[in-house]
Amino acid sequence: MNRPMPTHTHFFEDLLNDPMNYLVEASMDKGKIPIGYTCSYVPEVLLSVDPLIPIRIRAPGVLSTEIADIYLSSVICSYTRSVLEMAMDDQYGFLKGWVFAASCDHMRRLYDNMKYLNQADFIHILDVPHRHGNDSFSWYADELKMLLDNISSHHEIRFDQAALSRAIQDHNDFSALLTSIGDMRKPKNPPLSGTEFQAITLSSLVAPRQSILPKIQEFKESLSRQEGISDYRARLLIVGGQMDNLGYIRTIESTGGLVVADHLCTGSIPRLAPIRMDEDPVTAIAAHYLNRISCPRMMEAFDSRVDDIMKSIEEYRVDGVIIEFIKFCDTWGIESSLLANTLRKKGVPVLCLEREYQMTGEGQIKTRIQAFIESMGK
Amino acid sequence: MKNKILYYLVYTQYWLITWMKIIPFILRHGLYDTVRDLRQYPWLWIMLKVNRLLGKFGKGRSLRYQQAVSILVSGIVSGVTDMLGNIFFKPDRLIIHEDMIPPEIFNAMGLSTFMAELNGIMLPMIEPHAMEQYIDESENQGIPPDICSLPKSTMGLFLKGQTPPAKAMVTSNLPCDAGMNSYALIEQKLKLPTFRLDIPYHFKDERALNYFVDELKRMITWLEKKTPGKMDWDLLREICEERNRMVELEMELWDLARIRPAPIAGEAIWLSHMWFFNLFPGTRQATVIFQKILELGKQNLAQGISAVKNEKFRALLWNPPLTHFIDLFNWAEHAYGVSLIMDSMTFNRLPFIDTATNDTMLQGLALNIMNGPMARHTRGPAENYMDDIFYIHKQFDLDMLWVAGHIGCKNTQALNGILREKCREAGLPLLIIDYDLSDPRIVPREGIINQIDHFMENIMKAKRLDPKSKAA
Repeated sequence: MNRPMPTHTHFFEDLLNDPMNYLVEASMDKGKIPIGYTCSYVPEVLLSVDPLIPIRIRAPGVLSTEIADIYLSSVICSYTRSVLEMAMDDQYGFLKGWVFAASCDHMRRLYDNMKYLNQADFIHILDVPHRHGNDSFSWYADELKMLLDNISSHHEIRFDQAALSRAIQDHNDFSALLTSIGDMRKPKNPPLSGTEFQAITLSSLVAPRQSILPKIQEFKESLSRQEGISDYRARLLIVGGQMDNLGYIRTIESTGGLVVADHLCTGSIPRLAPIRMDEDPVTAIAAHYLNRISCPRMMEAFDSRVDDIMKSIEEYRVDGVIIEFIKFCDTWGIESSLLANTLRKKGVPVLCLEREYQMTGEGQIKTRIQAFIESMGK
Repeated sequence: MKNKILYYLVYTQYWLITWMKIIPFILRHGLYDTVRDLRQYPWLWIMLKVNRLLGKFGKGRSLRYQQAVSILVSGIVSGVTDMLGNIFFKPDRLIIHEDMIPPEIFNAMGLSTFMAELNGIMLPMIEPHAMEQYIDESENQGIPPDICSLPKSTMGLFLKGQTPPAKAMVTSNLPCDAGMNSYALIEQKLKLPTFRLDIPYHFKDERALNYFVDELKRMITWLEKKTPGKMDWDLLREICEERNRMVELEMELWDLARIRPAPIAGEAIWLSHMWFFNLFPGTRQATVIFQKILELGKQNLAQGISAVKNEKFRALLWNPPLTHFIDLFNWAEHAYGVSLIMDSMTFNRLPFIDTATNDTMLQGLALNIMNGPMARHTRGPAENYMDDIFYIHKQFDLDMLWVAGHIGCKNTQALNGILREKCREAGLPLLIIDYDLSDPRIVPREGIINQIDHFMENIMKAKRLDPKSKAA
């Protein structure tokens, strides 16, 4: 599939080149407080209560991790190593705080090392339970309250009910807009590629929503004038963890695949589902993040993850599934084997793609995707 | 000559004792059934070679030290026959459990247990290459090679269908992502009712204790529904009280180990803890073994005899012991006079269980699980890891820290940078041994010896005391 990038897409892509893009800089000039977070179990909606702005931590452009490897070793996922490398290079110096989740071994140790190396003056880790249920839900809700108390005391911000409800409303409106664009990928000839959609979702994680909203609306309007994409060979669903480099999906699509849906930490399903507005805000937020986010770290949710994937396969008319994960990730490493075998038994073609955080091995990836598409008879 | 004769006398004595435990078990099980089960569970062949441990642990050691480790091996054999008895004679009450969940509650419910990770820990001690076929099986099913080889061994065992049929399975989110996630695969393979305990990351306050006690209560209720087991609180009290007696004896053993030179050391301390506290806590048999080992240590102390004939250095071992080089410290004692005094798997700060009420017992057990070595060190915040190391360093008058740097343990690998800097600050010589926990193909025995030689010669400025074995 060869398709020139529309002008809007360049705008979104530009925001991804630097942790402190010009929209963040402009917001900070207006008194906004950027808080970095590393995992989908950290509710970005809480960090978007005015004057906070949530910044999903990425490490664009890190080519090597020599210094981080001294601390984290070379057998830790390259996302966490890249983040530490960038932090030690003081490229996150503009952040006014970090929020981690004790979501996996690698994140916990990134937190430990960040704390030890004194890279941030406000640093907090959320203890996220590994199962669903009433007790674990209460635990997580309490964790969120403790996070709010900690931020309040550090930055002197009041998280009253009205402010939280407003943040949820903004989150839902924004998510609805992104979802409506994502839904355009369901028809046979969608007006946008997976790369374009990922550019929007990723940029929305690293730029203030209010600043980026008009551009996304413009982009959506422009799609009505776009010709549908027809020169693809297979419709693909991509499943995995943190994937915040456009290069991967671009490479997949350069071989004739069209990524029509994603179940990624940094993607759209189920992250963009709405948060309930009819209950206590913290309770609603806890319910959304603990119960909707779907990571293999949740011990009892394998079957529901499979069900969600099967549902997307049907809705988005998917031909094949790519399970991608960063090398050394234990949760996705084991999940990928189990998930691939389960999906194959259901007749779904699956490719497991172990990769590095930064875009590397483009030629090898292309060869594997081409072989995968050919194996589907496409 | 006299020493050699004494060594062989003790060896033969315990060789006979262990076979006196194995043979009646085989007779009770029946020859036909034994042959059938040896085919179905080929790892039993390796377990039958358990007497190799008498040689690995006993060879070249002073008389009472050899007796102590031989008593331990005989206790291990008793434990294995008991465990196999559970599997073969009480299959209707059998549950599979993860190694991070000790069996006190299961035993009090009248359930039989099979610890899923036991083979991956025990078999390489007897036969270093034992787990390779199981690791390969996991990798052939798509499990990435960088995953810890212990869960890979465990998954491989289940994937090969070499585990006994059970009624249910109990696991947890400990000790690491790989360990936790391996049970998703095992559950799919076995299609067994599975219960998962959730242990908080912030586990040091009352909120966490209450949360986890509720988890244990939820587990008991679940087991009562899914298995024939029924909670007997009086039996749990007996088990906890017996466990407390075992703890008292162990603390006396630690007091002996604090003395320089130590009258008792090595496996007599670490393997006794690992085996009995994880597999048979609160059993009379375990307490008796501790009593016997302690008595031998006291006799050595009274006569001014040290366990290691020429104790030059006192070491702390961090992370699980090197299972496929299980006689490492017997070797190190002779090569450099290095005595293993304490290790991360043995040391704990919350040993006793209050048996006043049902709730206090559950609280005590909960604290023990949450503060288990791989729970608080491997998964918990880095402070737990560092604070314990430097506390033990001072408490036990140690000269060096050896970290078993298992390549598959990402949790501990990611703390090596901080540890190096803190050891430098504290003036504690640090050796990080690169190796793989269950797979000697990654770094073989000779590779481990080379690393130790470099450390001892360059950092500790020590010469080998056994030039012959170096040449060999």
